[in-house]
Amino acid sequence: MTRLSRRAFLGALAAAVPAAALVRRAHAAAVDDIAASPRTLHALGEAVLPSELGRTGTAAAVVAFQRWIAGYRENAELLHGYGTSTLERSGPTPATRWASQLDALDRTARAEGARSFAALPLEQRREIVRGELAAVKGDGLPSVGRAPHVALALLAHWYDTPDATDRCYEARIGKESCRPLATSTRRPLPLAGART
Amino acid sequence: MSAVVTRRVIDSDVCIIGSGISAAMVADRLARTTAATIVVVEAGDEAPPLGQRYALRERYLEYGESPWPNDHLDGYEIDGPLQSRSMQVGGLAMHWGGVTPRWSPEDFRTRSLFGVGTDWPISYDDLDPFYQEAEELMGVAGEQGPAAMDPRGKPFPMGPIPLTHNLTLLKEWSARAGITMWSQPVAKNSRPFDGRSECCRNDTCSPICPIGAKYSPDFTWNRLRASKRITLYPRTLVRKLVLADGSMRIASAEAVQRAANGRGGDTPVEFRAKKFVVAAGYAWSAHLLLLSAGSRLPHGAANRSGTVGKYLAGHRNRQAFISVPMKLYPGMNGQHSLVTKQFMRTPVGSRYLRHDLRVWESSFARAPRLKGDDGAVMLGDEIMRDWRERARTGVARVRAYYDVIPDRTSELTLDATRRNAWGDPLPKLAFRDAQESAALRDYSVATLHALFEQMATSGGGKVLQTVEDDGPGWQDHPAGGCRMGDDPATSVVDKWGRSHDHENLFVVGAPTCVSASCANGTLTFSALALRSAAEIARA
Repeated sequence: MTRLSRRAFLGALAAAVPAAALVRRAHAAAVDDIAASPRTLHALGEAVLPSELGRTGTAAAVVAFQRWIAGYRENAELLHGYGTSTLERSGPTPATRWASQLDALDRTARAEGARSFAALPLEQRREIVRGELAAVKGDGLPSVGRAPHVALALLAHWYDTPDATDRCYEARIGKESCRPLATSTRRPLPLAGART
Repeated sequence: MSAVVTRRVIDSDVCIIGSGISAAMVADRLARTTAATIVVVEAGDEAPPLGQRYALRERYLEYGESPWPNDHLDGYEIDGPLQSRSMQVGGLAMHWGGVTPRWSPEDFRTRSLFGVGTDWPISYDDLDPFYQEAEELMGVAGEQGPAAMDPRGKPFPMGPIPLTHNLTLLKEWSARAGITMWSQPVAKNSRPFDGRSECCRNDTCSPICPIGAKYSPDFTWNRLRASKRITLYPRTLVRKLVLADGSMRIASAEAVQRAANGRGGDTPVEFRAKKFVVAAGYAWSAHLLLLSAGSRLPHGAANRSGTVGKYLAGHRNRQAFISVPMKLYPGMNGQHSLVTKQFMRTPVGSRYLRHDLRVWESSFARAPRLKGDDGAVMLGDEIMRDWRERARTGVARVRAYYDVIPDRTSELTLDATRRNAWGDPLPKLAFRDAQESAALRDYSVATLHALFEQMATSGGGKVLQTVEDDGPGWQDHPAGGCRMGDDPATSVVDKWGRSHDHENLFVVGAPTCVSASCANGTLTFSALALRSAAEIARA
């Protein structure tokens, strides 16, 4: 008989009976689990994020993603757009689904003879992730909360940061941050060590 | 045992219904120029104070959450394209983009000049001093365009928001197609202004400016409340205007103050005033007048002409994303744009088409992606490599708003099938083009596409995509519903916004517009409201 973890049990129960209290507990359990054993998520970060972030940058990106998961609120009122009277609210927590997907990555690794996903060489981890994401529709990165897989969510989260944009353009753009009006009239300064 | 609910009665000289930007303009002018006692009645809640807006912005950026939580009344899902559910102290201008072009002189005379639409009973020159006053109250930063295209009596109160590096390049690029562009005027501070800070381009002007560099009506309300020149009643929904016995004057506004817990126990309130000002935007102004029907007002208040709710006006847009042969840096200030008024006049001998034109930096087709052109999943360094390669050249977002002449059946009516929590029918909205305008739609779209192609070709680029960025049935920057005119048989209010039917009732701002131009309307709505306030003070 397969043993269910507390988090998996709560997740299954919350899916079957989506009472607010159960859903909150399932979300909290998933957040706790990811925080308590972050090795798989860090190993995923090393596999999918650009290597130029280095060990420290990758770890920081993963921690920021964990913070995003922990801060997610279900049924929060979303920005309502123009031209409609319909209101939208945020959906069920993705944390339970993503925690299960991290478990699945470990199971796949074990099936391939490794102790865990983190124990696999980088290229082998990437092959597993490529397999998981091959069926994703479209070529764009979705908004984080709508990502069907945790690997895609992690990518979407980091690539939406000002740091990612600055690295792409190899310039200090600092999108969505406060910048003096006058300095923006000039071409953004190059990043230290940039090729241009 | 049921609790006894006492009706409150509140007297004033002027009762303003609504607390959006037009209401703020009227209250500000009356407070400056009269000694009148002024009450302001707002159905929605207080907006979060400035000090909370950074945190609200963070939730918006991270999770897409509304930075204005609970800015609406429950149960107001309506049939038709409502501009916004937002209902709070400050109105929609709490989350506007702060874009403040003036309309052009031609807007007020389309019938005389081009043979289409309806002339307004006022001219651009009549409105010019009130445009100026609105710009000074809000703090508009603008660049003077060529005088022939962009006439104004006095300079802008502030110098323009400087062009970013991106917009400087795009201005040169537009010039290659013979288009003269300049910095879009905006109600954002290019220097510290009126106790508020300078814009810092953090680029979330819409939906939320966290530093108060963009004008929003709460600043006016805070000042007027602090000086005790007004009393503002939030959470108070006006349901009906009531006639005085034996006259056509409005005697009172019947309202309900919503209970703090939202679970009943609402308090009835009667606002009595010498003058009433309906400043509730294009939808809720006409809605209130229609709800005020009774035995002596069979078609609603101010509606002997039958035109309340009619001639809803707006404009449409076409938008293009054009690749440009230059390196741009999207993210410098995506909400600021270039603008031209070069196309606000229809050339002699041409079919009717008037439009504005704006250009922005864009990351369209330049965003990071998961799959390459071959459909294979990219990971690690591949995504960044692919992104850098595509970002070597930039993309311009080019958009034109073009005129739509409203039909009489472009209307707001009462929907007997949907009611709010107090049993009042909700509005139903349908925008419809006048026949002459509908006949021009394909021509308008084709002409704009040709212009986009010309810009692309002249500037060495390529049109990547053209779209209309509105949903079906929707028109941008809606107005009308209580149009002004000299003839009481065909209009709701006179050229000052005074009801033809009730001497002490004014409707101000967006609803009084005869047409909606082809540019953002908020500054014009504000100028019209200030002009009405001048008459309210005189009357």
